[in-house]
Amino acid sequence: MTSTVDTPADAARPTPPSGLVTVARAPGWVRYALLAVGLLTALWLPNGLYPAVAVDILCWALFAVAVDLLLGFTGLMSFGHAAFWGTSAYVTGLVAIHLGLPFPVAVLAGALTAAALAVPIGYLAVKRTGIYFAMVTLAFAQLVYYVANEWRSVTRGENGLQGVPRELFGLDLRDDYYFYYAILPIVLLGLAAAWRIVHSPFGRVLVGIRDNPARARALGYPVHRYKLTAFVLSGFIAGLGGGLFAVGHRFVSLDVLHWTTSGKAVIVVVLGGIGTLWGGVLGAAIVVRLEDWLSFSGFEAIGLVTGGIFVLVVLLFRRGIWGSVAALVTRWWAARRR
Amino acid sequence: MRRTVGVAAASAATVMLVAACGGGGPQSGGDQKLTGNKIVLGVLNDQSGAYSELSGKNSVKAVEMAVADFRAKYGDRAVTTDISVETADHQNKPDIANTKAAEMYDRKGVDLILDVPTSSAAEKVADVAKEKQKLYFNIGAATTTLTGAKCNKYTFHYAYDTYMLANGTGRSTTEQGAKNWYVLYPNYQFGQDMEKSFSAAIAAAGGKVIGKDAAPFPNTTGDYSTFLLKAPTLNPKPDVLGTMQAGAELVNVVKQYNEFKLRDKGVGLAVGLMFLTDIHSLTPAALAGTTYTDAWYWNFDARNREFADRFQSETGTRPTFAHAANYSAATQYLEAVQAAGTDDADTIVTGLEGKTVEDVFLRNGKIRAEDHRVVHDAYLAQVKPQSEVTEPWDYVKVLKTIPAAEAFRAPSSECKL
Amino acid sequence: MTGFLQNTFNGLVSGAFYALLALGLAVIFGMLRVVNFAHGAFYMLGAFGAYVLLTEAGVPFWAALVIMPLGLAVVGMALERAFIHRLTRLDPLYNFLLTFGLTLILQDLVKLRYGVQSSPYQTPSALAGSVDFGVFDFPTYRVFILGFAVAVCVGVWWLLTNTRIGMVVRASTERPELTQAFGINVGRWVTPVFGFGIGLAGLAGVLAAPMRAVNPLMGADLIIVVFAVVVIGGLGSIFGSVAAGFGIGLVQAWGEAYLSDFPIVSQTIVFVVMAVVLLWRPAGLFGREEAPA
Repeated sequence: MTSTVDTPADAARPTPPSGLVTVARAPGWVRYALLAVGLLTALWLPNGLYPAVAVDILCWALFAVAVDLLLGFTGLMSFGHAAFWGTSAYVTGLVAIHLGLPFPVAVLAGALTAAALAVPIGYLAVKRTGIYFAMVTLAFAQLVYYVANEWRSVTRGENGLQGVPRELFGLDLRDDYYFYYAILPIVLLGLAAAWRIVHSPFGRVLVGIRDNPARARALGYPVHRYKLTAFVLSGFIAGLGGGLFAVGHRFVSLDVLHWTTSGKAVIVVVLGGIGTLWGGVLGAAIVVRLEDWLSFSGFEAIGLVTGGIFVLVVLLFRRGIWGSVAALVTRWWAARRR
Repeated sequence: MRRTVGVAAASAATVMLVAACGGGGPQSGGDQKLTGNKIVLGVLNDQSGAYSELSGKNSVKAVEMAVADFRAKYGDRAVTTDISVETADHQNKPDIANTKAAEMYDRKGVDLILDVPTSSAAEKVADVAKEKQKLYFNIGAATTTLTGAKCNKYTFHYAYDTYMLANGTGRSTTEQGAKNWYVLYPNYQFGQDMEKSFSAAIAAAGGKVIGKDAAPFPNTTGDYSTFLLKAPTLNPKPDVLGTMQAGAELVNVVKQYNEFKLRDKGVGLAVGLMFLTDIHSLTPAALAGTTYTDAWYWNFDARNREFADRFQSETGTRPTFAHAANYSAATQYLEAVQAAGTDDADTIVTGLEGKTVEDVFLRNGKIRAEDHRVVHDAYLAQVKPQSEVTEPWDYVKVLKTIPAAEAFRAPSSECKL
Repeated sequence: MTGFLQNTFNGLVSGAFYALLALGLAVIFGMLRVVNFAHGAFYMLGAFGAYVLLTEAGVPFWAALVIMPLGLAVVGMALERAFIHRLTRLDPLYNFLLTFGLTLILQDLVKLRYGVQSSPYQTPSALAGSVDFGVFDFPTYRVFILGFAVAVCVGVWWLLTNTRIGMVVRASTERPELTQAFGINVGRWVTPVFGFGIGLAGLAGVLAAPMRAVNPLMGADLIIVVFAVVVIGGLGSIFGSVAAGFGIGLVQAWGEAYLSDFPIVSQTIVFVVMAVVLLWRPAGLFGREEAPA
């Protein structure tokens, strides 16, 4: 048939539980109310949280949504998305430092570079599916990590890229509180773009490929090209997050490319709920907040807590938080109607 | 102003679970001598990663000891009795260090940040200190940029740096007759700095670097055999292998150095940076005869030993130089606040600059005004053979004291305060 | 020439570790369709276990070489029954995620108890010397590792080709659809095979203890390289995993020795080889193309 190497287990993959569908089926006022609550929370966030933590939540929200776009809506689990997050962080940092451009331009340059990098990596990776895809992306991300590590004249290696400016037409954005509001529109745009992609005809095809690649192929869809496009779009959104992260921290270190960063992104998505899009945002808020709290609590084993929660979610609540709540609400809704 | 608005909005919305532990910043004091009428010391270091043993939680203990000693010394005359110690784990990640440092200064009301190992994290915190105009004593990091390109009014570099290590070990070893060197260094900033410093020091002492190799960093396989096989085959044969690896990587290099029997083949071993905990981990037998530069050694004299005994009763282990330096730095800060009667950072800096200090860690110590390098005596140390180790943790004999004036580099022109 | 032989030998020694780890991964994958992310963590537990046995119970290396693989195999079997088993009917990705979570937990548990400082482990005295090969001499311990690893691989091969369980595993690994079609009940072998794979990881760990730094993160980056190794060899191919393991070890050692001005080469070569293999033979060098079922 084609050159795709699907193991029988891959071909028989069950549909991941999707919370999005349930929310989309909810009545209009529920959806608008949720949107309003979400926007208000986003507006209020740096008043209730330490602003730097709030900024991190925004960046990770974009990263999580990017990973979910692949994992939840295309059925491809990238375990190497740090490659795009990190590449964009470096490019953003370099552009901002050396060209002194306004930070949104730098971030855009970073995200575009990440998308460009996603083309060759995606081209090779989409030849495989399922678990192979995860391992291949993981390995390529590690390759990017080593290259950045060795390309010291540009990345400054282990010491990191320091002093990334927060330039925006002379505005003083040194305070994270104001910076949060400066990046909020960009983040919301990124999230809206992800939502648009999922709900476009293109997104429907992706879900079709996820659920039944053989049928999609039989219907004449160029499956590889669709997957590659999704991969590149996802790389771009992850790049947006990574670029903002670089400007937010005014600094880029090799950690942004390490595989543990890819792993954290997957944890965030699974915790929030695979295939729910907004679950990733929720997951980002929880994980970032939890890590911040743990590191101040004097408890040394952060991995023990995040790993433990993660294992529990994988074993017991595979829908994630958003998916589980959405399922409960749907059941309650159905019971009420009866 | 906007904070007030923010706080109002925050209190209106405290139901949000996610904010349960957030919110609330320090209130700036009006005419108080001390902000919030208290002193807060922040220890920001690695509490779970590669450097957590050599500094980590036990450095927090050391700082707490300094606070207790200060209280005991001044009693009612103390500028305040409300002195607390905050701590956070930066996991050796510069971005976490950045966030934590800003949070410590802003949210925890920390007056002084201490320790911060890992050069990249250390540099980042220097930027934060500069921006927030709050004090920062670096102890754990080796990079000379803290007193070079990254130096600033609020940052002091306390314990050691790559120059001190190279100057001590590189020069002394060469002067003692090991003219030909093979240098192996991890390929990242610290390793490259060390290699440059060592090459300069070796050349200055009349020695020669026959060969040098950059080993991958991080070294996934932990294998250095290629380099160790190469060393004895070089022409002329090197007298000594200088390894700049640190922590777990150093452990690997030394293990394999012994495995390939380089000492029997006439290639000695010199180590760039080593902590007491590394020797403990490798056992003195594996390192016997190795020379290195130490910033402080617990069993050097009675005064050190007295501190080490107290430290051991607190922690169950002997102090590394990082522990002693944290104790010293916290003490000197508290003394400066006591003398000035205020914790205003600018006043404290003025008081510290050019000051000569003598304490358990700082011998012939001086806080240089030009670049905020804290200079003090350093020590050329040698690991004892197993047969001479008579008590646990006493692994080293001090060969000679390197006077404070020679131990550190002259102020760099890169530093403009 | 002497140098070349030494470097080749050296490459084979590091290849031996890749081969043992890849072999365990391949066997587990073959039987369960699970890619065990925690394989590196079990390698670490093997090394740590040897260290703890020696320092806290005085158990020598040779005993640890038997105890740790067996002990970890039992742990692995318990793990399979308790967790992995619950997820096998779902997408294999869930087990990948589960074992990823377990990796974080295992690493941090060891960290909490023993810290991250590398722990000392002496080479057993019987293997402390070096062997003279005429033109060059080589540490005895490394010669031992190579010999031992090759013996283990040959032994496993013998098991796979000459025993009933071996044939079931091989059939299930290399022709899963046929095995199922023949109605062979593979279920009862799943747990022991998982334990066996974990045992191999533990064995590699014990072998590594005297040679490498024993610390909680020693398996963390290594496992990524091993993933690339099995992708190169073909995940479904037991022979391929072993061959790719030794091959990558060799290529890395040569790169390090002869391109020492470009340290990036030896670090990234495994991933570059993987990319080339994916372009040229997506199923891996020794893998078999499978039509989507």
